[in-house]
Amino acid sequence: MSLFKNSAFELRNAVQSGKLSAEELVSYYLKRIAHFDPQISSLLSVFPEKAKERALQIDQKRKEGKKLGKLAGVPVIIKDNMHIKGEITTCGSQFLSNYRAPFDATYIRHLLEEDAILIGKSNLDEFSMGSTTENSSFQTTRNPWNLSCNPGGSSGGSAAAIAARLAPLATGSDTGGSIRQPAAFTGTVGFKPTYGRVSRYGLVAYASSLDQIGTLTNSVRDSALMMEVMARHCPKDATSFNMPAEPYLELLSGSMKGKKIGVPFRFLDDLEQESKANFEKSLATLRELGAEIIDVDLDILRYSIAVYYIIAVAEASTNLARFDGIRFGVRSKKAKNLEEVFDFSREEGFGREVKNRILLGTYVLSAGFQDAFYRKAQKVRTLIIRKYAEAFEKCDLVAMPVSPFPAFELGSIQDPLQLYLQDIYTISVNLAGLPAISVPSGFNKERKPFGLQLIGPQRADGRVLQMGHLFETATQYNHEIPPGFEVEL
Amino acid sequence: MKDLGGWEPIIGLEIHVQLNTQSKIFSLAANRFGDEPNTNIDPICTGQPGTLPVLNKAAVAKAVQFGCAVGAKISPVSQFDRKSYFYPDSPRNFQITQFSDPIVIGGTVSAEVEGEIMTFEIHHAHLEDDAGMLKHFTSFAGVDYNRAGVPLIEIVSDPCMHSAKEAVAYASTIRSIMLYLEASDCNMEEGSLRVDANISVRRYGEKKLRPKIEIKNMNSFSNMEIAINKEIERQIRLYEETPNLQIQSGTYRFDVEKQDNILMREKEGFEDYRYFPEPDLLPLVITNEYIETIRAALPELPHQRFKRYTEELDLSLYNAALLIADKKLCDFFEQGLEYTKNAKNLCNWITVEFIGRLKEKNLSLEKSGLSSQNIAHLVALIDSGTITGRMAKEIADEMVAAPSKDPREIVEGNAKYKPLEDLSAIEPIVDAVLEANPQSIADYKEGRTKALAFLVGQVMKQTKGLASPEIVNRLILSKINS
Repeated sequence: MSLFKNSAFELRNAVQSGKLSAEELVSYYLKRIAHFDPQISSLLSVFPEKAKERALQIDQKRKEGKKLGKLAGVPVIIKDNMHIKGEITTCGSQFLSNYRAPFDATYIRHLLEEDAILIGKSNLDEFSMGSTTENSSFQTTRNPWNLSCNPGGSSGGSAAAIAARLAPLATGSDTGGSIRQPAAFTGTVGFKPTYGRVSRYGLVAYASSLDQIGTLTNSVRDSALMMEVMARHCPKDATSFNMPAEPYLELLSGSMKGKKIGVPFRFLDDLEQESKANFEKSLATLRELGAEIIDVDLDILRYSIAVYYIIAVAEASTNLARFDGIRFGVRSKKAKNLEEVFDFSREEGFGREVKNRILLGTYVLSAGFQDAFYRKAQKVRTLIIRKYAEAFEKCDLVAMPVSPFPAFELGSIQDPLQLYLQDIYTISVNLAGLPAISVPSGFNKERKPFGLQLIGPQRADGRVLQMGHLFETATQYNHEIPPGFEVEL
Repeated sequence: MKDLGGWEPIIGLEIHVQLNTQSKIFSLAANRFGDEPNTNIDPICTGQPGTLPVLNKAAVAKAVQFGCAVGAKISPVSQFDRKSYFYPDSPRNFQITQFSDPIVIGGTVSAEVEGEIMTFEIHHAHLEDDAGMLKHFTSFAGVDYNRAGVPLIEIVSDPCMHSAKEAVAYASTIRSIMLYLEASDCNMEEGSLRVDANISVRRYGEKKLRPKIEIKNMNSFSNMEIAINKEIERQIRLYEETPNLQIQSGTYRFDVEKQDNILMREKEGFEDYRYFPEPDLLPLVITNEYIETIRAALPELPHQRFKRYTEELDLSLYNAALLIADKKLCDFFEQGLEYTKNAKNLCNWITVEFIGRLKEKNLSLEKSGLSSQNIAHLVALIDSGTITGRMAKEIADEMVAAPSKDPREIVEGNAKYKPLEDLSAIEPIVDAVLEANPQSIADYKEGRTKALAFLVGQVMKQTKGLASPEIVNRLILSKINS
């Protein structure tokens, strides 16, 4: 069997037992990257020398009889808004095209401690602002399932790379759906943990109260494996939960019998026909697995886009204020005084969507408008949190589609507002800080993937992974490989 | 108070105090003054992307201590906010401060102003991070981030002061409290204590406040007094020249050389800082248990020590105030009290005799090498009659020259410090003095004890201070009573 058809779980077992060397595994994927990535441009940087060196160290460790970590020898792709010490973190922006990370993100340290091999940084919408990865100022990433389509965003690079089997594991960040939606668009598994479960230290902040780091993989078991390593308390992140790591792999076993899954039917009323059919098919599968589908009232979610695009941009406008050309990043060569350093560096360094959101964020916080926009949005956010809590009193998980429709043509939607409206099913999850997963749920006529979204109450990460795993086992869509990428080199 | 012709100055002070925690308020970078630029920094306090603030518990403790010391309310839940403005010394281009829900609310301080005890109200105090320092060179400007992230407590008073002297008294009391709490170095020249004054005037009886201006950069209390007085005079003059004038709000800087306030920037409208709750920090929850633990462990505060000095130790108001005002001196005195109960004499010997001698040699008490223990021993020697006051002065000279010497050893080793006890030498002198002062004898017999002291003094003068005062006393009394 081709190596890439194995899950990360199986690959690390093979490295741990000595059946496979880390060096072999890394070389294998580096070869796939070199061969296939030119078609999809998912990666902004690759570290062949460092990866091979690390692989040799791990193999040596094994020879010496030392215990290998949980991710032994497994190559991992990191979204390029998270720090690997000494490597450039671009955030997809011209502003940071020269910025070398001064430290490892906390979760990166944990991955390294468990002997993972960091193999490259993936493309993203600039500063995670976008849902197609088209806002990257460097390159356009293509969807392996259909090269004229976008892979979703903002973690489109990671999603595309995983779908193309350029690595077994990848990470992304999710502020309004940026892991789940690209996962749905690329037929991969995207998991966003409960807010506070994974340390944000080392993630370049977009919206502080919404951002979470999560996983892009080809199986839920692989997500669980990564989450065991990544989900820890971090003293450098004040919003990090003070609770120990959880044994997510163990928690995968179980059954859906007797579980209640809430669906906000009224809210999904005008879902597009193909997507609706796929969603209903998924519900049928859940019923077959023994779950009871019940109706829940989440009508309030129709305000979630407005609430998100006030709160997220407000936080972002301040998080991105540090990019001023003074201490780091690219300073405008045209600047002749202090004002110009600020103005020109930001003018030249930021793309259009980033500027839009900074302007919007500044506006909703400004005197005279803050009450009507920012504070009002925070109040509605509380209502959204409460409505989810009420729903979870009646059910164990909520199920929804991930996106109104599957991947679409690159460049086909220019109106940012149109794009914002697509986040309707994912965005409220971040507002309420809930764990959620997108699991591949089938294809449309054009062989474009769909995803099913399962959402849990706060801290029910194990439950979400478990139910996602059961659905995946019953449907097996995650084993599908985009045409052309199944070639063994 | 000076008559200002019916005008009432209204003054409020904002005092920023740097807390002397080991590390900064939101990161582990060292909190130290005077090191090479950009050496006490880490990714958090230079605003690197991907960094997050974590609150320093020690800074919270000091804020709660301050709140307890001024009888303020400690807010059970307080919140941090982002305050946005762009400036190179601000690493994130937003400061993390407390705007809507500060940790300390209210409070009062009492201070002596020209002989009267006055009470001043504090509006609130909050925690925030300090900015870096901009340094201007010939062809460029540089930023030193050593100071960026240093914890500040900003203490905002009500606009309840009505003269420069009141403002200075209030500010020195705040400073004194922070010193006694050992929460800050309170060094105005180094910038660990900074005072901004908000000043307006109005006619007595006017209900509304007129526009105010702000003065910054007053780096000593004497400069502060000058700056505030100048501004009061200026505003009064302007209003008297143009009765319906609306004074333009602005920020002034006190210029030390010009000894005047210079306009820095005018305020058109107001600055919009777009305050909103800091999402990276959880609300700060403070329990009653925690507050009580802090309160129970508070050190003796200046006003408490003042009370003890004046009521228990019977020091004069002047001396008590003198000691309290300088914490190092005061602590020196406190140490001495462990070796002698004669507080008055100890105070006198330290503040007058020894400091006087040191001043002549241009030495400070701190640098002199003298120990309060030894000074206390000297006082004890006088009190026990082992030496005379005059001898003590000579011994003091020797101690200043050789600061580590114990006065008891000096006395032991030197015959000239043994008071004259030879009756045959003293008695004739006593007789002579008694003969020359019959009125004093009469006064004493009438109950005026001062007359005895006078007679003793006359004998001491004649013996050039060498006679044992005890023996002289005994001799005189026995002769008078016989």
